[in-house]
Amino acid sequence: MTTEGPPLELLLRRLAETPPDFLPAARGTVHTAAVVNDLLRLHGAREADGRLTDLISCEDGNRLRLVLVLSWLLSDEALTSLQLPPAEILGAVLGPSAELAPYVAAQQAVENPERREEVARAALGALALRPLGESESFARDRFTTLSTAERTRVLAASRAAEERARAIREALAKKAADESADKWSRE
Amino acid sequence: MNDPDQTDADRYPLLTERGRAMLRHLREHPAAPLYRRTSGNRLNARDLEQVRAFEADVAAHTPAWQPGTTPAWMEDFVTHCLADVPHYRRYQMPGTNLHTLPTVSRADLSRDITAFVPDGLPIDRLINFRTSGTTGHPLLIGSHPTVAAGYLSFHRRALRHYGIELTAGAGEVAVVLAGFQRRCFTYVSVTPQMSEAGLAKINLHPDDWRDPADRARYLDAMNPEMYTGDPVAFAELASLPLTARPRALLSTSMTLLPGLRAQLEARFRCPVIDVYSMNEAGPVAFAADGVWHLLQHRLFVEILDPDGNPAPPGTVGEVTLTGGFNPWLPLLRYRTGDFAAMAWHDDQPRLTDLTGRAPVRFRTASGEWLNNIEVTHALQRHALAQWTLHQAADGTLTFSCAGQPDLTTLRPALEELFGPAAALAIHTSAAFDGKVRQYTSDLDDSGQSRA
Repeated sequence: MTTEGPPLELLLRRLAETPPDFLPAARGTVHTAAVVNDLLRLHGAREADGRLTDLISCEDGNRLRLVLVLSWLLSDEALTSLQLPPAEILGAVLGPSAELAPYVAAQQAVENPERREEVARAALGALALRPLGESESFARDRFTTLSTAERTRVLAASRAAEERARAIREALAKKAADESADKWSRE
Repeated sequence: MNDPDQTDADRYPLLTERGRAMLRHLREHPAAPLYRRTSGNRLNARDLEQVRAFEADVAAHTPAWQPGTTPAWMEDFVTHCLADVPHYRRYQMPGTNLHTLPTVSRADLSRDITAFVPDGLPIDRLINFRTSGTTGHPLLIGSHPTVAAGYLSFHRRALRHYGIELTAGAGEVAVVLAGFQRRCFTYVSVTPQMSEAGLAKINLHPDDWRDPADRARYLDAMNPEMYTGDPVAFAELASLPLTARPRALLSTSMTLLPGLRAQLEARFRCPVIDVYSMNEAGPVAFAADGVWHLLQHRLFVEILDPDGNPAPPGTVGEVTLTGGFNPWLPLLRYRTGDFAAMAWHDDQPRLTDLTGRAPVRFRTASGEWLNNIEVTHALQRHALAQWTLHQAADGTLTFSCAGQPDLTTLRPALEELFGPAAALAIHTSAAFDGKVRQYTSDLDDSGQSRA
């Protein structure tokens, strides 16, 4: 998030206006890898990136739809004009789509304002960009607040910590723990 | 109550026929006391290997660092704490400089001990150390059979300073842990790292014996190589007509006055070693040659002033510990509530002027303020096992002690300190029950705020 990118509002509007073709109801109606390849060409790529083959074998329909949504987002002129390396653009498609797929439905990424912002910030973050006019720390904090993956991770960590504390308390309370302390001196 | 699901196989996984015979000997002697509990070393073969390696490690190293420095192991230890221990992980402090990290207190441990157990450490064989706490913060500390067994390594180090190598082995009793309380847990066990030599934790209180005279009969028959206990128990032990001679007495838990120490040494004709020890850290130091020698080479000791800054060598402050040998309770700047100064002998740090708890001030008849350490000094020649001194808001002093002190010398010693005009009452009782807060005052609360 070291460099300023386009204004956030512009990206949010673009996401809200995602054409229905980018949200196919069933797999197979759109060749996702071909769409991404087109996106990379828009960003100046001259040959296909080997990582695209991963998308061909991908079985996760929601992730593929998120790939399409991100491709739509990243083909905005505000981003193509930045002349970013195509390999980084592909990273901004593959990374956030993989991370968000377990938690965010592609439809929500378009229709829900908070999820739209999460997707836009995730894509910018993957390109080391932050929204125009925002400080680095604000951009980072705002993304952490919105991040479904982060929230899920924190909740899971907190549940695991509670479970561990409970297990320790139970282990300490066992009679066996109580009657086994062959120290040679007492305090 | 004992756990009916536990068997000797659980309590003593390595028990052999000779160990079984030792347990029978300790339990079934005609003069044996009433053993109220069962306990066990719980050491399996792998544990025993680990305990032996630990013992060799302790014997091979001496606690050492120069003033203003930290030992070489510190950085890795702090990194481990900040990464793996839930309580310390919350610090979110950049870097691993010990002196910039917050301190923790007994209250923190008491509030949630589970947050001090590192992630990933197995907890299926946890044991606990309990303290009721004279400070108002009872503790239940997580530990492990190998940690309990590790105490012996530090005892050996202290004994070695006095020229004693323990030799008890199969068929012999290595140690008797003596208490003298109305009620305390008692049990027998064996020590696998000493060929299953016997261990007995006993209560010298007459109520624990069929006949009070059995105490001397039993202890003479067991003939332990050494005793551990507190000054109150040792004062009682000294009153018994024992003929067997231990090789050492190791005193913990309470202040051991030089007067009582001299009396015990004369009575048992063996060294009486005062050990500074606590459940949170185990044995920290032992007294010899007028100073306290540190025992653990992976325990860093700081002396902090009331603002939490390191006190210069020679200045009394709070004993603060980092490290330790209990992986289930890694200490990171733990304020013990005990006070001492640090002095160096080459690169070996030592403690001086060690007193439990924050200093309490007392007002003399002339209005002068005295630190409690001066009271302790005034009592040095008296063979008191346990005592308390309280000053009421009107300045009245109440001195209470266990046993039968020589009042013809005790009163003058206290009057010399506080002035002949001081209002001073002296009470004696047979015994206190357990640990007590030694010095308290309604006039000066500076020493009680941290307790």
